[in-house]
Amino acid sequence: MTQDRTKEGKAPNKAFVFSVMSLKQKVRNAQALFYTLGFPIMFTVIFYFVFSNMEVQGPSPGPQNAFDYGFPGMIIYATGLLCNSAAIFFANGKKNGMLERLDTMPVGRKNIFIGGLLAETWFVILQILIMFGLGYGIMNVYYKDVGMMLIGFVIAVVFGIQSAGLGIILAAYAKSPEAANGFAMMYFMPAIFASGALVPFESPIVYFFPPYWAKQIFLQITVDGDNLEALMKSSSLATSTEIGIPLWGGLLILIALTFAFLAIGIAIFQKKTSV
Amino acid sequence: MAQSIGAYNNVSVEPKEGVEINVRGLKKYFKEIKAVDGVDLQVKKGELFGLLGPNGAGKSTMIRMLTTVLTPDAGTAIIAGLDLRKQRVEIRKLLGVCPQEIVIVETLTAEENVTFVAQMHGIPTPLAKQAASRLLSQLNIAGRKDRAKNFSGGMKRRLNLAMALIHNPKIIFLDEPTAGLDPQARRLVWDFIRDLKNTGSTIILTTHDMVEADVLSDHIAIIDQGKIIAQGKPQELKEKFGTGNILEIQFLHQPDLDVVKEKLQTLPFITKVSDVGEQRVLVSFSGGLKNFVATLQQGIVEHINEVENISFRQNTLEDVFLHLTGRRLRE
Repeated sequence: MTQDRTKEGKAPNKAFVFSVMSLKQKVRNAQALFYTLGFPIMFTVIFYFVFSNMEVQGPSPGPQNAFDYGFPGMIIYATGLLCNSAAIFFANGKKNGMLERLDTMPVGRKNIFIGGLLAETWFVILQILIMFGLGYGIMNVYYKDVGMMLIGFVIAVVFGIQSAGLGIILAAYAKSPEAANGFAMMYFMPAIFASGALVPFESPIVYFFPPYWAKQIFLQITVDGDNLEALMKSSSLATSTEIGIPLWGGLLILIALTFAFLAIGIAIFQKKTSV
Repeated sequence: MAQSIGAYNNVSVEPKEGVEINVRGLKKYFKEIKAVDGVDLQVKKGELFGLLGPNGAGKSTMIRMLTTVLTPDAGTAIIAGLDLRKQRVEIRKLLGVCPQEIVIVETLTAEENVTFVAQMHGIPTPLAKQAASRLLSQLNIAGRKDRAKNFSGGMKRRLNLAMALIHNPKIIFLDEPTAGLDPQARRLVWDFIRDLKNTGSTIILTTHDMVEADVLSDHIAIIDQGKIIAQGKPQELKEKFGTGNILEIQFLHQPDLDVVKEKLQTLPFITKVSDVGEQRVLVSFSGGLKNFVATLQQGIVEHINEVENISFRQNTLEDVFLHLTGRRLRE
């Protein structure tokens, strides 16, 4: 067998194999697809028809409407749903015995977590591409320039991974995928509204919800900003309560929360599933 | 001299020539429940070892410990010369585990499921696909290109088994591999397991099906309430703990056992009379047809109107279990 293996190719990367399997599971699950892609698209279309005729005076020159300012919230809503998706995926692995089955193979939890997160990352990229295609391609949403839009893309991916980290934390405590989905909904729906990501919310409470920071950075970069250098050096995030947090401060919060959720999620999940 | 490599909390176990799995003092408690309570056993290389016991006896917990999923509370084991507590990753490379529950990815096809497991064992993708196709043919699930969620229960269980065997493991754990299968599918799996024995792999089979344990196993350990209560070859166990031929009489009403016993025990070849509930009495006796007829005459002719059914059978592992515990396997 060893000789055959060298002849036929090298051993595949286990994290990569796991991520491919996980991604196949995601894209073949019609219900999950509807939930993670169908809903954001539906909201985007509704918001477009409601807000695209309302002109607003933004800091950037040129004609802008309320939907241009609302679209970043749609992106954050879509990527934030990875919290549900990851919670369901990891809770399902726990419940259906696949995690235990993998524990009898020479795989290691490291490969499972890396593979799982890779799958979530690929999925969030797919999600953002579709949303960008819909928003910037079809609905003609305003953006500063292509470079800033690409940076916005990266911000959205980071927020998606952060949401997946939170999903892993919830999966650690959930006894079933249904419970995991319930936990995720209990967090995500209040968070997305209380953060002002979907509809503007005038309250300092918004600072306590991760979607707020992702949306403000995305908005600042793609709609409000001048250029990245100016944003990093002088701009403050256009917060509703006028506190002077620079863009890099917001970025730091976003990245710190991402690492924290992932680290806590993996640690708790490991602890709860090791017997 | 063998080196002592498996030692934990004053329990030590050593590799032995010809022994693939050597377990000493293995314990696992879940709060107050003693799931596995100090088990010692040895499985020889290339043998099919049956672990027989009722539901909740501790079979699956044993398997989960030996397959490195659960950490034992006490005791240890040497598996293929490797220490269960210290060399878990190396041990996993040798194992093929078929869990009791059907653990497959329902949104993948049969070939994708099996190929996935092969890749996780480090087999390159082209080889993995070839091996998957071959194995699925052997288990009569080749050619299904649709997703596993559309499969029947029997097909899912066979796929579950294929996922345990795709990498030609040296040691195979089969945890109730035929649970829920129809008789035809069960026969197919039995034949397949018999063929597996010929590959030289060591197989540990857990079951609560006495017939399955009897027909497949080279060696059997009977486990009850977390303890091994008997071990040996199936025939040895039946001879040692069985009580000869058995006449099972089912009465229409609960019989007066003392009266039945009194009559039957006048016959010298009667070894035991047991009330097993549900108006049934088991009469064990030695000898042949003559004694069988005599037992019938003495035991039930007078009560023939109260008899619903009579059956005769030879000793089974069920009788061994009954003898050892006073209970039936399925109780």
